[in-house]
Amino acid sequence: MIKCVVWDIDNTLLTGVYLESGADLPGADPGLTGVLRELSARGILSAIASRNPPAAADYVQQVTGADFAAVECGWGSKADAIARIAAELSLAPDVIAFVDDDMLERAEVAAAQPDVLVLTPEEAAEAPAWPEFSPAVITAEARRRSQLYAERRRRQAAANEFGGSRDDFLRHAGTQLTIAPAVPDDLPRLHELSVRTHQLNSAGEPVTQPDLARLLASPADAVITVRLADDFGDDGLVGAAIMTGNGGSSGPDVHVPARALVATVPLIMMSCRALGRGALDALLAWLCRSAAADGAAELRVPCLVTERNVPMRLALAAAGLRAEAGSVAPDGRAVFTRPLTGELPQLPDWVTVK
Amino acid sequence: MLARVTGRPELLGVPAETPLFGAGVGLDSLAGTLLLRQVQRRYGVDVAAEDLNLDSLETLSTLATFIAARL
Repeated sequence: MIKCVVWDIDNTLLTGVYLESGADLPGADPGLTGVLRELSARGILSAIASRNPPAAADYVQQVTGADFAAVECGWGSKADAIARIAAELSLAPDVIAFVDDDMLERAEVAAAQPDVLVLTPEEAAEAPAWPEFSPAVITAEARRRSQLYAERRRRQAAANEFGGSRDDFLRHAGTQLTIAPAVPDDLPRLHELSVRTHQLNSAGEPVTQPDLARLLASPADAVITVRLADDFGDDGLVGAAIMTGNGGSSGPDVHVPARALVATVPLIMMSCRALGRGALDALLAWLCRSAAADGAAELRVPCLVTERNVPMRLALAAAGLRAEAGSVAPDGRAVFTRPLTGELPQLPDWVTVK
Repeated sequence: MLARVTGRPELLGVPAETPLFGAGVGLDSLAGTLLLRQVQRRYGVDVAAEDLNLDSLETLSTLATFIAARL
């Protein structure tokens, strides 16, 4: 499934060459402007990689009315520009498509980035009919995705100019994080997060909507949602966790020692939009504190150990969870645990718990 | 390297024994991932693949020891 289309400007999104047109600038290609709008409505991002000054991207934004999640204008290689866009948006090359009218540019990108889907403008005009551009479910968050990324670009620019620490910036930006139990309306977005998140996903496998509905109805399980907003925009539902207690035991039989209550978290997932904004650290702090308040003596997080979810392992380590060395099971999972005694991670004051 | 990935020049002079997680530096998932990527590029050591618990990121000093042992 394609998550982002990187567009050329000259003779692609515009009907001519920006720098060769003098005062009479070329207009937007009407067919591709429609494609931009359709992809955005499906939650697929657009970005620009162009051999032009940055003003060209502003002009294209103006004439197409599209939100661009990332803009790379310059005279370097387009394969490098795509690599920077992929890094900025935290996307793998195999979910990126590249559209350019120039055969040499397409050949260079295809050679340097074999996983990127390389298209001519004519092919891009047909692309909305293709399965890899047709997500099965389109949630409210998905429809607003392009706008959210444009907000993210403005937030990032402000953060780069801000002098203080990350926490100071989060406060300065009016960050509001809300932790609340999931409700049935959240199910499509929760399923989508379980499919789309990789870097910040502990389980590494999708959870179906019926399974989520069952967890929601089960008194033994808790499905916890995280919503994130600040002065730059409202990102909506960005993350969630599932928590299950073992019920403990403190039976009347004095010969059986009481079994400590262990809180197990089979899934933690967070959109990469929340990366660097304290959301995962806050969720982990809440999980520790909530489990401890319920009387649990230990928090357990089984986590798939992959190259891609290193950010998840970093957050687990920062929250004091550890796995036994060499304990990665044949299925690639290790169980990260921490005792819920002593000092627990702090919840920042911009977190609201409902 | 740490100053660059966190965007905080004042961390250039941070003592090697300062905890990277929690108070002090407050290394988060994003900055931590960038730091590990830089380490891999510069020293060819894939810390994430070799250190399940990432305990080597406790301080700059433990990270340096971890890298030095694998050079």
